[in-house]
Amino acid sequence: MIEVRGLNKSFRSVRALDNAAFEAPDGCITGIIGPNGAGKTTALRILYTVLRPDSGTATVDGFDTVTQRADVQSRIGVVPDGRGLYPRLTAREHIRYFGRLHGLVGSALEERIDELAGILRMSEFIERRAKGFSKGQVRKVALARALVHDPQNILLDEPTNGLDVASSRAVHGLIQTLRDRGRCIVFCSHIMQEVAAISDRIIVISEGRIMAQGTQPELQDLTGEPDIESVFLSLTGELESA
Amino acid sequence: MWRRILVVFIKEAVDNARDRRSLLVALIYPLMGPILLGLLVSAIVDVVTVQPKQKLVLPVSGMEHAPGLVSFLREHGVQVIAAPADPEKSVRDGEHEGILIIPAGYARQFSAEQPATLHVVVNSSRLPGLIAVNQILGVLGAFNQETWTERISARGVDLKVLQPLEIKHINVAAGKHIAEFLLFMVPPLFIFNLFMGGVYLAMDTTSGERERGSLEPLLVNPVARWGLMFGKYLAALLYTAVAVAVQLIAFALIFKLVETPELSFTSAMSPIVIIGILVTTLPLMMVAVGVQVIIATLTLSYKEAQTYLGLLPLVPAIPGMVMVFAPVHAQGWMMTIPIFSQTLLLGQFVRGEPIAMTNVLMSMSVSGLIAAGLLLVAARLYEREKLIFGN
Repeated sequence: MIEVRGLNKSFRSVRALDNAAFEAPDGCITGIIGPNGAGKTTALRILYTVLRPDSGTATVDGFDTVTQRADVQSRIGVVPDGRGLYPRLTAREHIRYFGRLHGLVGSALEERIDELAGILRMSEFIERRAKGFSKGQVRKVALARALVHDPQNILLDEPTNGLDVASSRAVHGLIQTLRDRGRCIVFCSHIMQEVAAISDRIIVISEGRIMAQGTQPELQDLTGEPDIESVFLSLTGELESA
Repeated sequence: MWRRILVVFIKEAVDNARDRRSLLVALIYPLMGPILLGLLVSAIVDVVTVQPKQKLVLPVSGMEHAPGLVSFLREHGVQVIAAPADPEKSVRDGEHEGILIIPAGYARQFSAEQPATLHVVVNSSRLPGLIAVNQILGVLGAFNQETWTERISARGVDLKVLQPLEIKHINVAAGKHIAEFLLFMVPPLFIFNLFMGGVYLAMDTTSGERERGSLEPLLVNPVARWGLMFGKYLAALLYTAVAVAVQLIAFALIFKLVETPELSFTSAMSPIVIIGILVTTLPLMMVAVGVQVIIATLTLSYKEAQTYLGLLPLVPAIPGMVMVFAPVHAQGWMMTIPIFSQTLLLGQFVRGEPIAMTNVLMSMSVSGLIAAGLLLVAARLYEREKLIFGN
């Protein structure tokens, strides 16, 4: 369960978030959509504790992302904007490293790694070093290490960016499975079809402001537009120019 | 928290053990100094200490003019041989180091008790030539003295009257001086290596991590930022200590290898001395790694970090390099200056001089305090939001 209230964040003169407020309930996929530079990544970064808001609060399961950082960190699994791997470590070692940082050890950890490798179909490269991994393989490792501690809240920044159709489908499937198990999932994307296809709730963000939020039918009612693309363009004020 | 710091430490140590550059810097670079010094020592040993022990081979031209002198030379252990046709060319070409020419007028001058002229052909631009001059003049001087002793006593004069000074030659083994001079070169090589050992690890785990994009996911884990930094710091410290230990052991082995009875380094690198040096310089290693982590955190990119950190080891080595030629006597106040104090103490260690415990403690505690300060700065830098973006 994630709640954001009156969030402001500026980088020098650029206002990245302007009084942003939204919530993401458990058992629900919340998709944040917006043009490039709209503030999606900044919002997620505040949620996953690497940025501090100038004002306003963000809480994860009731824990404040600034004052209760460690509590938040152990309740979230994140595939952030930066998702580099260590070229000299194997896929398994990557997942194991993050598992240990979450306090997991021994056979329980190894079993969890095997389970994730099964779900994400990683067995073919699980013991290989990450140097030379394809984009899809990198993404799978990044997902697996984010989920190793079975977090309640899952934050994904452009989770399928650069993936082929089959890999994107697999990621979508995994996200939906996690939702069905009661997890709170927040992801951001600039691909409208993706957001429309898998989100239960959609948050439209533009120039740091939340333009609207709700289910897809709610947004269609609100704008009177027939499809999500027009909803988006109408909300971000780009319908006329498009 | 300490368990998780250990997790970071182990990961970085293992990860970098698979990196050829990190291993090169920690295991191979430290051998360069000792090998260089070893080559230098063995070259000098050959020239200075071995040759005087050999019998002086002296080509003599005009032997027939001075049978007395020739037999004197032979009695004094000189191997007299016939001189080549062109003595000067022969010496210039390095066939012989020195040649004695006895002119035809020698016999007449000598028996008339006039100064008898001799020519000694040498090439003093060569080190062996210089040594030959010394040896030839030495033995000729002895002949001179013997002759005048005979002549004076034949006239009934007490010899002591003519000898206002009795100079006794106390020969301090030449090898010892040379050994000491060479040992002065150990501290700068050591300091350079100390600031080099962990450098790749410090860069790889900080600017490298950011550049790879692996820093952001790492920061999301429930480990305090200072803990992440400290785990990386400890891994870099381990690599520094390994590099330092490898170099000290290499020095010990190479000194053993080039050692001769005249040129002894036995006291220089005993296991006790090596342990003493490691303990004494540990705070300096912590300072070095602290500086490396801070620079690697502040710089925008791996390349930029590489530029600064590549130059870094040279600067602290400067005092030691200067002291090779202008030795400094260690004093208490000097122990408050990091790098300088370790350079001085290290010199005392390897030259087998007595070491004041107060000096060691002073050096260690000042450097330890500075290392702690640097750690605090590094921890604060890790707290900054900018960390994930670069400066």
